[in-house]
Formats: sequence, structure tokens, C-alpha cells
Amino acid sequence: MTGITHTTALWYASRATGVVTMLLLTVVVLLGILVNRQGRLPGLPGFAVTGLHRNVSLLAVAFLAIHVITAIADPFVTIGLAAAVFPFTAGYKPFWLGLGAISLDLIAALIVTSLLRARMSRRAWRAIHWLGYAAWPLAVVHSLGSSADARSGVVLGALSGCVLATAAALAWRLSQAAREVPRAGRAAAVLSRLPARKAGL
Amino acid sequence: MTGSLTVPNPPVTAAPPGRGGDLPRLLPASGAAPVGLRQHLDAYGALPTARSPGRLLREVAAAGLTGRGGAGFPTARKLAAAAEARPAPLVVGNGAEGEPASSKDSSLLWISPHLVLDGLQLAAEVIGSPAAVLYVRRNQRLHAGLAGAIAERAAAGIGAARVDLVQAPDRFLAGEESAVVSRLTGRPALPAYRPVRGLPRLAPGRAALVQNVETLAHLALIARYGAAWFRNAGTAAEPGTMLVTLRLADGRTSVAEVPLGTGIAGLLGLEPAAGHLAGASVPSAAGPVQAVLAGGYHGAWLPAAEAAHLLMAGAALRPLGASAGAGVLAALPADRCGLAETARVARYLALESAGQCGPCFNGLPRIAAALEHLAGPRPDHRARADLKRWAGQVTGRGACHHPDGSVRFIRSALRVFAGEAGLHEQGRCCGTDPRPFLPVPAARPASDADWS
Repeated sequence: MTGITHTTALWYASRATGVVTMLLLTVVVLLGILVNRQGRLPGLPGFAVTGLHRNVSLLAVAFLAIHVITAIADPFVTIGLAAAVFPFTAGYKPFWLGLGAISLDLIAALIVTSLLRARMSRRAWRAIHWLGYAAWPLAVVHSLGSSADARSGVVLGALSGCVLATAAALAWRLSQAAREVPRAGRAAAVLSRLPARKAGL
Repeated sequence: MTGSLTVPNPPVTAAPPGRGGDLPRLLPASGAAPVGLRQHLDAYGALPTARSPGRLLREVAAAGLTGRGGAGFPTARKLAAAAEARPAPLVVGNGAEGEPASSKDSSLLWISPHLVLDGLQLAAEVIGSPAAVLYVRRNQRLHAGLAGAIAERAAAGIGAARVDLVQAPDRFLAGEESAVVSRLTGRPALPAYRPVRGLPRLAPGRAALVQNVETLAHLALIARYGAAWFRNAGTAAEPGTMLVTLRLADGRTSVAEVPLGTGIAGLLGLEPAAGHLAGASVPSAAGPVQAVLAGGYHGAWLPAAEAAHLLMAGAALRPLGASAGAGVLAALPADRCGLAETARVARYLALESAGQCGPCFNGLPRIAAALEHLAGPRPDHRARADLKRWAGQVTGRGACHHPDGSVRFIRSALRVFAGEAGLHEQGRCCGTDPRPFLPVPAARPASDADWS
């Protein structure tokens, strides 16, 4: 199993894109939390954070597609197209791949609803976008369970970093939500935070 | 909260003679006392109900009636869309009148409630709705009067549709169409987060037809007298009359009914001299005027010398960013600081943000604070550039038109009061009277409950 040959290329490609997808999905979650709390990144206006969240999502989806397609095409194990979509039906590690399939389905729901966002109620879109919080940990457990790579060395370190960063972002999000300003008071809150300048005549 | 507003019976001035020769149409020729049901029937005759809905629709289309709430959308098109919708949409008479500078809707509701209720009834008949709602600004006396009028009609057996009276919260955006619908479904009166296409929906499959109360009053008259009569007043492109709220330079306010296309100079008593300097103030019967606010707090300032030559019609005002819209005209006296006035209103507009769209609730407060700075002595030279840049960053970025309308108003001030801003930068100001001129409600506690 050392060295890339014509028989192992797909296997390596699937493992590598899996790692990259995990990293990108983590960035997507972090940016999503930032967008939700109307947070800013240094040097970027608010709408650019939203744009970054969308574009990194697109990149993650591209890597995810390659990860899934190469895994299916790899002759070494038999997974099958159906098993990529229907959880726990794979011929190889059905439980761990099943978690990945659920994660994939949830992400597909996020993509479809985000493309149709202008045509659906905001409430429904939001409700489905909450699934993002379920897709990410499923992907983490899928990585740990289905790949020995993720259980040691650099990849384990990266995965731990992802988990820590997401946990920190979630804690920050909850603390922000706890002191949320009601809609009607938001403009007043901004006005009161502005530096006092001499006004009037 | 109730009864905190002044009673909506400002002196109603007789309108200047129009081309129709039968003005005023909506308000009695003299006096500001409510017109009772008997008096109403004597003056206008019984509510015509035998006409077929299709015929009334064609009549409204031929009359060219447009919405009098500010947007000016053709009423016939909205009615036709509602008549096709199944189940029949709920008819809503919108008298929220969140605009502090306007009192024409509450005056109309106070003085001629039966004309509005006639229109509400007719609209319900046209679209086949068994129920209607009258959504009215929070005011105890006005609500008592309307409840009495509704009961009186029910007792007399006038109209088939049941009419419910609903109180509008005292907010600038409470009359925005999607905010009205939100309030009627029991939620806060906030504008929809995303733009509404077609009729707004109360629930899946149940639409609402929201019409301004003055529009409904005109509808009641078109049903009685026809399109040709309606077109006797106004211009060919913008027929009919409209109610205007006038604020003269001496602070007196009145509500008048004028044909569209009436000269602004006559309405505000401006006396423009030939060859008048563009930036100079214009004498009026109520004292010298430096600028005119047309269209309310989402409208635009115009230099008095320019406004004196304009007509109260969309065709004349729209290119200047102002509008005949909801019919607000205010003459700013020469001894007030236009920037200070604009800054006060801008702060109010910022605080009236629904707090839903970031560009609005982050941008408008910054703009308001910068305007306050500009209205003060020796402002930073960058203040005007900042304002212009921020104004561009806010426009078109809200779900409703609050940021756009607010920025239109503020930009017009930067244009019209550019000379004044220059004086401020040198540490001078031509405002000698510090009393506020434009009406701005006191800041209110900010909780979401204030919107219901």
C-alpha cells in the first residue's frame, strides 16, 4: 500500500480530498457562525464575510464531490453509488460510511435550499440551514471511523484543531445569543456605541 | 400610549378652486366636525352596490386612480389582481400613517369616516371578500369615532362585509404593506425580511389587499360619479385630487384637498419674484422660506426658489427625488438651520429602523451621527465625504425601502444645504431660531413589543 500506482491513485485521491473537505467544512461552519452573529473579519465588510462563507462552501462541495466519486470509483472496495446517498448500505464499513452518507444528504439539502432561497420563506430556509450543525460532527465521526489516517499523526492533529476551533466558535455564538439585542433596539444600540461628537448649535 | 397624539382635527382649509369646480370632494367644504351617517348619505347618496364588480373595476381603471399612501401604484391593477385571487383576499384599509409630518389620513378618518368605510365595503365587494379590516394609527378618540361609525352602519344594514378595527403601532414603518400584514397575523408590525411579489400573504393561500384609506375614499366617489367626473380634477397623466398636509413657515399646519398638478407656491403661500437667486429664500405670507420638504421624511428637500415653480404632481417632483406621494409639504423658514432639522429627523429615522437588515440598522445610525456632527459648530471637513460614501453603501441594501427613502432625504439635504454646511465648517450658522420645526416624536423605549 505504499506508492501511488494506477490501482491506488483513486484510493489516495479519496483520502486526500476527504481531509481537505473536512478542513474546508470546518472553515464553512466557522464563517457561518460569524455570519449568523453578524461578526466581522479584520479588513472585510459584513457582506464579504457572507460571500466568503458561500464561496468556501462551494469549494468544500467540489472537494466533497471528488471525495465521494473517487471512493465509489475505487475498485479496491465496493461502495456503490446508492450507498453514497442511502446510509448504512455500503458493502465496506457500512456504519462509518453511513454517517458520511447522512452528512452528504444534509449538505445536499443545504445546497438545494440555498439555491432556492429567494423562492422560499426565510423561516424554512433557516430551519433547514440549522442542519449544518448536524452535518459537521457527522463528518468528523465519519472521518475518525472510516479512515485510519485520521486516528494518528498530522491528520489527527488537524482534526483535533477543527474540533477545538468549532467548539470555541459555538461557545462564542451561544454567549453572543445570550446577550442579543432585540430588533427594535438594534439601531439605538449602534447609535449609543458611536463615539460622542459635539452636536447641536 | 393612547391619546398621546394630538387630536386629528387640524383646521381644514378650503382648497383652492380646481378645474373640477366641485372641490373639496373628500372633506366637507367647511368645518372639521365628523360627518355623521345621515349627513354623509344626504351629501353623497346611498352606497352603490348593484353595479357588477367588473364594471367598477373598469371605471377605476378609466379614472386612473393611484394609491394615495405614497407609492402611487395604479389601484385598478391591484384590485384586478385581488379579484382574481382565490380564496378572496382580506381587504385592509391602511390608515397607519406612520409619517410624523402627515396627518391627512387621520383627518380624513376623523372627518369623513363613512367615505372610507364605503370604499372599504366596495373593495370587499369587488374582490368577493366577506371581511375587511381598518388599520388605524393609535389614537383613542379616532378609534372611538370609527367604532361608532362602523356600528352605525351595521345597524343601518349598510354593506355586506364585516369590518374590524385594528390599532397600528406608533412606528414610522407600521404602515408599510408587509408590516401591516405581519401585524394582522398577530406578529409585530415589521416589514417582511425579503421583498414581497404581488399581493402580500397573511397565510399560505390567503392574500391581503392593502389600500390607503384616502384611496378607498376616492374609490367610493368613483363608484358613485364615474371616471369622467374623477378626471375633472388633476392632470391627464395624474388625475383626481389628493389630500396634502401643509406646514407653513410660521408652523401652522393644515390638511387640504387639492387637484394633482396644483402649484406648490400657492399651497405654501410662496411669492416668488422673477429673476430670483437660486439659493435665496423666498418670501411667503407666513414669513421667508429657504427650502421646501416635499414627500415627507422619505422625500426630498428642494430649494424654495425651485419649489415655488413646481407643481404638486409626480411628473414634476419625481425627477428631483421628491414625490407628491403621501402629500406632505413643509416650508422651512429662513431662520432655521436646515442641517439641524435634517439631523433631528435622520436620528428619528435611524431609530425607526426595524433592526432586520444590517446596512439599515448599522448604517443609518452612523449617518445620523455624522449629520449631527455636521449640524454642529466647526464640523470635520471629512464629514460630508463620509456621509456621501455611507449613503451609497446603504442604498438598495434593505428588504424594505426604509434605507433608500432615508438616504434620499439626507442626500437632498446635503445638496440643498451645501452652503449651510460650508458656513458650519467656518464656524458660522444662519439658523437664528433654535426651536425645532419639523415634528419628530420623542425617542421611545426599544423593545419588540413596541411594534405590536
